[in-house]
Amino acid sequence: MTALVDRPATAANVILLDDDRWDRVLAATHGEAAACYQCGTCTATCPWGLVAGPSIGVRSVIREAQLGIDGWAEAVWRCTTCGACEARCPHQVPIGEVMLGLRGLAWRERTAPGELSSVLWDMHWDGNPWGRPPSTRSAWAAGLDIPRFDPGIHTTLLYIGCTASYDRRAQKVARAVVGLMRAGGVPFGTLGDDEPCCGDPARSLGNDAYFERIAAANAAQFKVAGVTDIVTVSPHCYDTFSSHYGAAGDQFQVRHYSQLARDLIAEGKLTFSGLEATSATFHDPCYLARHHDETEAPRAMLAAIPGLELAEMERSRSETLCCGGGGGRMWMETPADERFATARAREAAATGAAYLVTTCPHCISCLEDGVSVAGARDLKVIDLAELAMLAGCVSAPTTSPEASHD
Amino acid sequence: MIDPAYSPQAASGIWVFLEQDGNVLAPVSLELLGKARELSRQSGAELTGLLAGHNLDELAGRAASLDLDRVVYVSHPLLERFTAEAYAHATAEVILQQRPDIFLLGATPYGRDLAGRLAVMLRTGLTADCTDLALDPESGLLLGEVSGFGGGILATIKCEQHRPQMATVRPGVFAEVQSQRDTAAPVEKVEADVPASACPVAVVSRRQHAGVDVSRAERLVIAGAGVRGDMGTVEALARALDAEIGATRVAVDEGWAGREQQIGQTGVIARPKLAVVCGASGATQFTVGIEQAGLVIALNQDPEASIFEQADLCVVDDLFPVVRALVAEFESHNGGAK
Amino acid sequence: MTGELHMLVCLKVVPKSEEVGVDRATNTLDRGNARSEINPPDMNALEAALALKDRYGGRVSLLSMGPPFVVPMLRVGLAMGADAAYLLSDRAFGGADTLATSLTLASAIRKIGDIDLVLCGEESSDGATAQVPPGIAAWLGIPQVTYAMDIELERGHILVTREIRGGEEVLDAPLPAVVSVKVSCNQPRFMDVEGMAGLDRDGTVTTWTAADLDVDVNHIGLAGSPTSVAGLREALQTVGRRREVVTGTPEQEAHILYERISEFVRSSSPRTQETST
Ligand SMILES: Cc1cc2nc3c(=O)[nH]c(=O)nc-3n(C[C@H](O)[C@H](O)[C@H](O)COP(=O)(O)OP(=O)(O)OC[C@H]3O[C@@H](n4cnc5c(N)ncnc54)[C@H](O)[C@@H]3O)c2cc1C
Ligand code: SF4
Ligand code: SF4
Repeated sequence: MTALVDRPATAANVILLDDDRWDRVLAATHGEAAACYQCGTCTATCPWGLVAGPSIGVRSVIREAQLGIDGWAEAVWRCTTCGACEARCPHQVPIGEVMLGLRGLAWRERTAPGELSSVLWDMHWDGNPWGRPPSTRSAWAAGLDIPRFDPGIHTTLLYIGCTASYDRRAQKVARAVVGLMRAGGVPFGTLGDDEPCCGDPARSLGNDAYFERIAAANAAQFKVAGVTDIVTVSPHCYDTFSSHYGAAGDQFQVRHYSQLARDLIAEGKLTFSGLEATSATFHDPCYLARHHDETEAPRAMLAAIPGLELAEMERSRSETLCCGGGGGRMWMETPADERFATARAREAAATGAAYLVTTCPHCISCLEDGVSVAGARDLKVIDLAELAMLAGCVSAPTTSPEASHD
Repeated sequence: MIDPAYSPQAASGIWVFLEQDGNVLAPVSLELLGKARELSRQSGAELTGLLAGHNLDELAGRAASLDLDRVVYVSHPLLERFTAEAYAHATAEVILQQRPDIFLLGATPYGRDLAGRLAVMLRTGLTADCTDLALDPESGLLLGEVSGFGGGILATIKCEQHRPQMATVRPGVFAEVQSQRDTAAPVEKVEADVPASACPVAVVSRRQHAGVDVSRAERLVIAGAGVRGDMGTVEALARALDAEIGATRVAVDEGWAGREQQIGQTGVIARPKLAVVCGASGATQFTVGIEQAGLVIALNQDPEASIFEQADLCVVDDLFPVVRALVAEFESHNGGAK
Repeated sequence: MTGELHMLVCLKVVPKSEEVGVDRATNTLDRGNARSEINPPDMNALEAALALKDRYGGRVSLLSMGPPFVVPMLRVGLAMGADAAYLLSDRAFGGADTLATSLTLASAIRKIGDIDLVLCGEESSDGATAQVPPGIAAWLGIPQVTYAMDIELERGHILVTREIRGGEEVLDAPLPAVVSVKVSCNQPRFMDVEGMAGLDRDGTVTTWTAADLDVDVNHIGLAGSPTSVAGLREALQTVGRRREVVTGTPEQEAHILYERISEFVRSSSPRTQETST
């Protein structure tokens, strides 16, 4: 716990500074750690302050890493890479990336928490961080008759991602996204059981070296498959493909499904028959709202549903409160009284909305847990795509018959 | 082919290794005697129990009243504590002298340790961890059934030319021998020759566990939110099954179980042979922790609960009356012995 | 022990259990397209070796017997921090039972030479015999300790905490020795950042055929195996859960459960009394 308390750099610390160590921290953070001026603004912003008392003292983490003081690592693993702090940093330190870089240093120095190795091994042997057999990867699609992606027929590859493929709750989201795309008349296919993991768990657990290998292999696989347009179910896959595949990422365009839906609605290809008057509040996933400035696409979908009233929480859009599931936190335990999602569920309940809508499989897991810990029994956590299906999402009359059905 | 230590023609009799610890016979040895008696009735072979240790005359006498024809008791001070090297040395000696046709051991840690070493010393074949034994009606060869690939494949193994035909048998697959002899069977005591050099491994200390950690437990009773804090019921079942207790995250959050008992993605990945899951909904973060379990039993009153997709036996009911009845059933069968 | 500690880890590559079936036409094992992995407890054995290396220094070699496709798996072990890898690959090794397998491995260990500690996983997920480690020890004529949870080194001896019925014991064994390691007793480290680059490198694994070993070809492989398979069949269900619904009154349901569970409970043995030396 002490590692989380923001301690000012003392003169004694400064004397300890070790050049070699500093070089390693700099290398691990691609030089970004150098920009920190120790102002402490980030610490005041971090949501850990809401739940656990002391927030992550980013500046002291950087300082302690620079100085090689034991204990910095613990705080580094707590970061959800939500980006709330970054938005406020006067020196534009990419704090999330610095945290991941420091995790990378921990992997190199073999101080990464041992149990996280098993997540990477699951990815290595099974191709997914849940350790489930690849031969059942497409089991979520049973009965949907989704064709194998073929560039001659399909414009778009629907990329499901590991969580929506294997997590029974998130599988329903994947099925809803399929419904949405069919209603919108988008000719799409999937890679079936051959769909690879995008690599996000390796990246967000800080093992950049392993991530680079995965990204290179996937880019090659997509190239062979003729993929140029990807739509993802999860904002994490969206972020990974669009921001972290380097030059290889230029060969394809990536959208989150909410962005596709927004475009379809705007083009008049997708409409909703509507819901009986009800209300929803929307939880912006960090990986759309903060990492990609995308707050409008989901709202455009909500606005297009007749009968649905949107009740915003105070912390919304780029001010959203992280669910706690990013930055690899899905594979790390958080004590019940320290989960962001519980606080978030309370904020959502306070709006009086019937639905807590979000659009990320990790957010769904965390928020459902939060709603149950908070005892907010009347609040239903639902994915935007599921809500869209409930609202009778239909292809607009002008659309041509969908190609993906046959 | 490696030359056998002795030929099938020179071999006779069925031997069972009587595993003992602290002057008590292992249950698996009694199970083996029951099965071996059945085989010996089929073939007419003599049934011998092999006991090894030190100062076990009294136990040898007790063993002689079990349903067997003869007890061979190999004795030496260096056999006081089990070590594979000394036991293999001493038993190899009598086996080479007396030439049994079949030699059966329990697939316990000691039994497997001894069998693996002994088989190489005797240059014979070993069928390990059998789940059934039979004699081939034509050849009279021992047929051992073994399972591989997590129990998915069953194979029958035989050993044609080499003797003894050795097998270790999984504990619990046969019923313990019930019948007793009216008059004690003869006990042949053999003073073994075990040089100190055959005994390089020393037992420094031993201790009994209060319980093992859930990641290695063979049987688990898992408490979910549905147990509503009534851990007494869960504990009673765990006692009846001699199982450890695991929990879902919700049960841990509620303080009904410790963090180290949490099963799942951010808890422990368990590999029990039996898991009884009480009142858990079956969230994926939980079920990844029981993916590698053997038999999974789920109790949940909600027929739609997704835990049932991950279970072998599904009980759609209020868990409390079922668990209580199950505990009662175990108690009545054990005569309240536990 | 002479000079630095030299450890050797036996790794077996096994098909993933969930993907193996029986070919009904030929009644042989159908490993078809089954994906392979390093036998899970062997990973624990490798981690134990690497942890000893971290603590006491020394060297870790890997040894496996199997087809050429095992090479990438051995590279995984090298990427985790092992120093050398040997693959025994020859048709003559095929069809080996535990006697022939342990002889083959023991012959290779002799050839590599100067090994202080041989580490194996407790058993393999495909065969589950747990007999190979004691077999290797017997062929080499050195002590064995099975089901190890923890290994410490002390003046040329190892102190091994091992699991026994209802408890654990600490054994003191001189080196060289064979130790088999309990599954899940540690967390196998992920591949090293630098090590991963070696995954694509050729020439890191030494391959030996039967001719490279000082062993009689009639004592290895199928020819050297006293046991043989008399029959094969698939158990009730190999893939997925049975999802059988139990119905009735609570008492009836409990009774059905009792019938199905009791075999698992009978296999448990009363816990031994505490003893100390
Ligand atoms: C990042 C993250 C990590 C997580 N890691 C884990 C993890 O490692 N392990 C884990 O377990 N969870 C984990 N979870 C939580 C997981 O998502 C589920 O919330 C949790 O597993 C649900 O626990 P439960 O099944 O006990 O409770 P619930 O989902 O509340 O289910 C209780 C069940 O009990 C049944 N029930 C109630 N009363 C009775 C009765 N009298 N008789 C029979 N049935 C009854 C109900 O029908 C219901 O299905 C994690 C979540 C997140 C977000
Ligand atoms: S806000 Fe930026 S500059 Fe200020 S302490 Fe945090 S990272 Fe450093
Ligand atoms: S990214 Fe989020 S969790 Fe991480 S330090 Fe910044 S505010 Fe805290």
